[in-house]
Parts: sequence; C-alpha cells; structure tokens
Amino acid sequence: MQNATALRIEDLHLSYKDLVGERFSKPKTLSFFEKQMHSPEKELLSGANLTLNSGETLCIGGPSGTGKTALLRVIAGLNRPLSGKFYYFGEYIPPERHTALEIAKRQVGLVFQNGALISNLRIKDNIALPLHYHKRGTPKEIEDKVNMAMDLMRVRTHANMFPHQLSVGMQKRVAIARSWAMDPKLLLMDEPTAGLDNYNRRNLLPLIDNMRILFRTSIIIITHDLLMAKELGCNICFLYKGQITEPRTFDYWLNSDTEIAKVLFRDLHRNA
Amino acid sequence: MQEVRNWQKLTIFGKAFHRFGLFLMKRTVGQQVALFFRAYASLFNRSRSFKADTKNIIAQAFFTGVEIFPILFIVATLFGAVVIMEVLTMMGKMGFDDVMGSLMVVVVIRELGPILTAFLIAGRSGSSLTTYIGSMVINSEVDALATMGVSPIRYLVMPGLIGGTISTFVMTILFSAIAIGCGFLATQAFSFLIGDFIHAKLTWSYLSSEILDAMSLTDFVLIIVKPLVFGSIITTNACYQALNIPHDIRQVPKATSRSVIKSFLYIVIADVFMSIFYFLDYMNELSKIL
Repeated sequence: MQNATALRIEDLHLSYKDLVGERFSKPKTLSFFEKQMHSPEKELLSGANLTLNSGETLCIGGPSGTGKTALLRVIAGLNRPLSGKFYYFGEYIPPERHTALEIAKRQVGLVFQNGALISNLRIKDNIALPLHYHKRGTPKEIEDKVNMAMDLMRVRTHANMFPHQLSVGMQKRVAIARSWAMDPKLLLMDEPTAGLDNYNRRNLLPLIDNMRILFRTSIIIITHDLLMAKELGCNICFLYKGQITEPRTFDYWLNSDTEIAKVLFRDLHRNA
Repeated sequence: MQEVRNWQKLTIFGKAFHRFGLFLMKRTVGQQVALFFRAYASLFNRSRSFKADTKNIIAQAFFTGVEIFPILFIVATLFGAVVIMEVLTMMGKMGFDDVMGSLMVVVVIRELGPILTAFLIAGRSGSSLTTYIGSMVINSEVDALATMGVSPIRYLVMPGLIGGTISTFVMTILFSAIAIGCGFLATQAFSFLIGDFIHAKLTWSYLSSEILDAMSLTDFVLIIVKPLVFGSIITTNACYQALNIPHDIRQVPKATSRSVIKSFLYIVIADVFMSIFYFLDYMNELSKIL
C-alpha cells in the first residue's frame, strides 16, 4: 500500500562533494542546473535503497565515517544527493524541490548530534520558536505545549537558561523536546543517547516508544548504541561498503555470519 | 541514460534566455540581487505575523542605528566643522562668497554625508551581522532552523535587511543635520577660542538660507533614495557573505572582511551611478541656457 510507507529511497548515490550542504544564499534553481561530476570511487553511498513503514522505528548503525549522518542530512533535505528517488509518505519529491524547507513542510524533524540550539534564545523560547513561526495555535496553547515538551524531557527547571549554560546531554534533551513539540510524522535522530547518562537514557527510550505507539511517528535513529535497538524492539540496518543492508532484528544480527555483524557484534556476543 | 531536461525542449530563444539567466545567477551580484528580492518576498509568505515581524525589525533597526549614534554624532560634528572651516578659509582667498551654500550641499548633503554614514554602518553593523549569521552557519543553527521549517532568509536576512535600511536612512538624515548644525556650533566655538581668525560674518541664518537656496529637487529625491540603496547594499552583502560560509571556522573572519570591503566597493559604484542624475540635470540646464 502506498500510504503505509513513511519514507522510501531508491538508488541513492551520495558523493563526498555533496556534503557541502545547502547554501541558503543561492537561489535553489541554480543548484539544480549545476553540473556534477560522477566518479564512482568518490561515492559514500552507491545504489542504496531504504524503505520505512509508517509507525516503524529503524536504527541505522555502522562504523564511523560510512556516511550515517550524511544520510540523515540527505533525508532531511540539507544535502542534495548525486542521484536517487525520494518518496516521503508516498509522495515523490523531485530533485529540484529536495530542500530542507520543502521537506520540513511534510512534518519531518531532525535532532542534531550537538543539539544545534539557537544560542541567543532561552530554552523555552528555543522550543517555542518554530511553534510561533508556524502559528500552531494561540499563545496559551503554545505555552502549554512548550511546558509539556519540557516536562517530558525534564528540562522544565532550566526553562529560563541559555543553551551555553547547559551540559551537552541537556542540550540534546532540549533539542529532542523542540522536535517533539512540532508533532513530526517522521523524526530523524542523530545519536540521541550519546552523552546521556544511563538514567536519562532509560527515560528516553520509553519516550521514543510512546511516540511510536501514541502518535504513530516513524523514527529513524542513527546510533552506535546497538542495545538500544534491542530495548526498543526495532530493526537495525547497517551502512556498509556503500550499501544499506536489509533491516533485521537485533537477535538476527547477533547470530548471523555476515561480515558486518562479525565486526560490530563481537563485543556484544561476549557480554551476552 | 541521459534524462531530457525541461530546458532542453525550449526553442533557441528560450535556450538563450535560460543561458542568460543562469549566467546572471552564477555571478555574485546576481545572487545578491536574488537574495534581496527573496528577502522582501519572504515578508508575504504564509508565516507572516505583523507583531513578530515588527518586533524583529525594530530590534535590528535599534541595533544598527541607535548603538552607532555616539560615534556618528562625533564624526558628523567634526566633519561638519572641518568642511565649514575649509570652505570659509578657501572662500576668503578665492573670493567666492556666494558659493558657500552650494559647496555645503555638494560636500555634506549630496556626497560625503550618505557615503560616510554608509561606511560607518558597513564597518560596524554589516560586519557584526556577518559574524552573527556566520557563527550560526558554523554551529549548524541555520540548518536546524531550516529543518524546523523556519526559513533562514525570513528569520535572519529579512529583519536585518529592512531594519538596516530604515536605520541607514534615518542615520544619513541625522548625519547631514548634525554635520551642518553641530558643525556650525563647533566652528563658532573654535573661532571664539582661537580668536576670530577667519574674520567671517558667518551666522546661522546666512548659512541655513544659503543651503536651502542651493538645494534642488534632485537633491531632495536622492537624499531619500541614496540611503535606501546603500542600506540595502550593506545588509544584503553582509547576509550573503555570511550564508555563503562553508562549515569552516576560519572562513568567518574572511567573510567579515569581505563583507565590509565589498560593501565599500558596491556603495561607491552605486554612488557613481546615482551621480549620473546630477549630470543629466546639469546637461538639461546647460541646454536651457544655450
């Protein structure tokens, strides 16, 4: 069924040159007409496919430097890939419209690895900024929503602080709260548990699970914390040798004979 | 397989037009003009809200204008005093008593008032705008804004552009007024302190009536147009240089200096183009006399 897929990527080619990112100073038609050189040895991803059903959580793992964050930035529209077809919620986005603003209109949220909070706004204003910008309800409703988001991520006591006064882990929680407040249909998270202590990690995982169950949010998580996939009960796929592997469960990978599983699950075997 | 793009189906004139458009768009100036129009167009998009926009614009205008005022006041006063004294002493030697007002209008109101104000604003507010937006680009805050659906052009460039233009306009008018008014007072103070060395009969009524007589309609129009053009140039250039920074912290100071220097260049070029109006005016009068 067409509507059931939250995201489908076909034949994605991504080179190192594409990692420059979107230049907001340039008219977006220009980058569409720019010629790009194609050299297969300089590709991060060549011919990758990915399908995510709506309401599903997917963990993406893999060794460092295989382009996990780049893949997430491509999905969020910040980088334009060399080629590839993108379907968001069954809707094909042509390459000339593959920009961050266009994709954000389709309720796709991204949590950055470092939080990327606006440094001259207080925590509560940071969370309220996109809500005010998109006029999501009256000021009272927005305030309620912001308070709820801050309660969920337990940053309410720091509502009047500036981002630089908080630790990295707290900044990340604020960033997650900011994304959550926008009611995303597809949420992309870059290393959500890195930098969090065990207590907050334990609290974050049920929250992610609740979002999936209550709001039917599709979630893509980039992580090195593979046990998280086991606790969330979701599939894992790996970026390996320019390809995205089939999504499989944690237990499948643990017992499989593939090369990538042997590299990444060696220590976990010993622990298990 | 090579996909047939839409522009390849165009006629030969269509292709030429397309190539011309791409040629313009690939130039820095073309991209800056496009950024200018996109910033103004973003005023009318779906997320417009009069209250928030006014607040942002006033904050930016305050930042650009009010905080530069002390420096501007001193520069304008001393500059006005220098011009009045130079003109007076020159006139004594040359015997051109009747061109006092015209010289003041040409030097202060037409040329150096707007340009000096624009240089001050480019050096202070343009560079700080570049650093501010450039740091946001480096910290991927601009990317975060875009993924939240908040257009960086609307959220960052538009208030800077409109606020900067408004405050450049106000500051230019103030500069000219201060240069003449306070410059006159400063001249009087100097001649009181040193003794009446210029032995001039310089009074306020004489100076002001001379200046008002010398002002033409073109002057009044260009007093309004010049600061608006200069303010747009400064802020558009500053925002363009900032948004063009790749993810490299060393590029921020480079972009800042580029923002200031290129603003100077563009301002002078624009000034030359606007001086053509005076030239046309002069030619018209010349043909009338002949």
